[in-house]
Amino acid sequence: MAQRTGAERFLAPAARAAGAGLCLALAAAALLLAGCGGSSGDSGSAGAASSTAGTASAGSPDSPSSSQGASPTAEENKRAHPSGAPGGGGQKHAPLALPKDESGREHAPTAAEKANSPVADMTLFSPSLPAAEGIAALTPPYTCDGAGSWPALRWGGVPAGTKELALYVMSAKPVNGRLFFDWAVAGLGPHSEGLEAGRLPAGAVEGTNSFGKRGYSICPEPGGAETYLFALFALPRSLSPKPGFDPRALREEILATSGNAGLLSAAYARG
Amino acid sequence: MRRKATTLGAAFAALAVTCAMFATTASAAPAWKFEGKSLEGTEVILGAAIDSSLTIPGLTTKCANFLYKVTIKNEAGTGKGEVTEVPLYNCTTDQPEVCTVSSIAAEKLPWPAKLATVSTSNYIVIEGIKVAIKYAGIECALGGITVNVTGTAGGIVDNATETATFNSTTFGATKTELKALATKIQWTGIFPTEAFQWHREQALSVS
Repeated sequence: MAQRTGAERFLAPAARAAGAGLCLALAAAALLLAGCGGSSGDSGSAGAASSTAGTASAGSPDSPSSSQGASPTAEENKRAHPSGAPGGGGQKHAPLALPKDESGREHAPTAAEKANSPVADMTLFSPSLPAAEGIAALTPPYTCDGAGSWPALRWGGVPAGTKELALYVMSAKPVNGRLFFDWAVAGLGPHSEGLEAGRLPAGAVEGTNSFGKRGYSICPEPGGAETYLFALFALPRSLSPKPGFDPRALREEILATSGNAGLLSAAYARG
Repeated sequence: MRRKATTLGAAFAALAVTCAMFATTASAAPAWKFEGKSLEGTEVILGAAIDSSLTIPGLTTKCANFLYKVTIKNEAGTGKGEVTEVPLYNCTTDQPEVCTVSSIAAEKLPWPAKLATVSTSNYIVIEGIKVAIKYAGIECALGGITVNVTGTAGGIVDNATETATFNSTTFGATKTELKALATKIQWTGIFPTEAFQWHREQALSVS
């Protein structure tokens, strides 16, 4: 621990003033109570940082390039590795490098792209599903291990001008290289705020899922665990699909039409 | 009477100790230091993440080039900062044949940062994080959708290696979280904290 400087010793008068106030309150409390006890020590045990910095794999040093405004400048890169060689100039970490091939580089989503594809800025959650460590988990009633009906869902932030909502449930990982549709519903009202468990509102239309059934099916392999993506799309026009529609075909139309989505992931482990 | 006075005396003694401890804690806010001396003015940290990955349930994304620029300063004895630029390039997923990253960007920059001490360890806490990732792939569940990663992130600062490490343990210790898909997500990575302006090649520490 480095020696504290003189400046620092005098830099916390406000904190000490606040401390004095708190101490007065504590004094009153201490006098009222016969004693005090307990501790509020933080039990968080942060893992020590790995010391792999010297073996960085951030890429090979290339000529600095700053085709984007958000890139380190050439001067900064020059400062980063003045010798032009990895580890040169006494650098302890890997030198900064930008990719040589800029044609394949990702770019920031443009306004046009955001307007022409769904941005996940609507809220979607399920009051039916418990969340462990902030991650929603499906329970047996909402799978083939139980009644197999969908959980209640709530959503918000539907943009003005929405004509219809469509809801998909897909397995996060493809099955045999193909996207797996567990449920697809279209024709949900633009002013609706959710779905009750196992009940569809009038006008809603279900597609044929990847099990070949019209309706909802969450059923991973026995002993398997899967993550499911619930995706709600706001549509600026009605797509009017027929009952038993092909969710894959409709999804392509949705992605080309919708500008807003709400996403929720939920996991299920089958015993 | 004497017993009452003794009790009062003990209470005040305990209080004095408590107050002394509090005063010590209050004045011991972590600060940025170079070669052991408190940073005056500002400095710029420019670096490239080492082995960083972002795991949205069902899909892990890695960027081979995860650069960052952070302006740091001490304010009233406490280390503060701003993440001003985060260029992300060459990003891939753990389902490369199905899901690709078509665009990615750090948004709403600058992200404010501050130093904090939890137990005896020092952390950097970054607030207001927003990263927009657009995935592509007709067989990708997130294909065609722009996913927003938002929240705060706390990483432990290691003075010996001059790095900040972010993982689930450091998020837990700092009570921070990043969310996407209405779910807490995992972000891991090691971030060198070297200065590239006035204090280049000087040892940067937090204490």
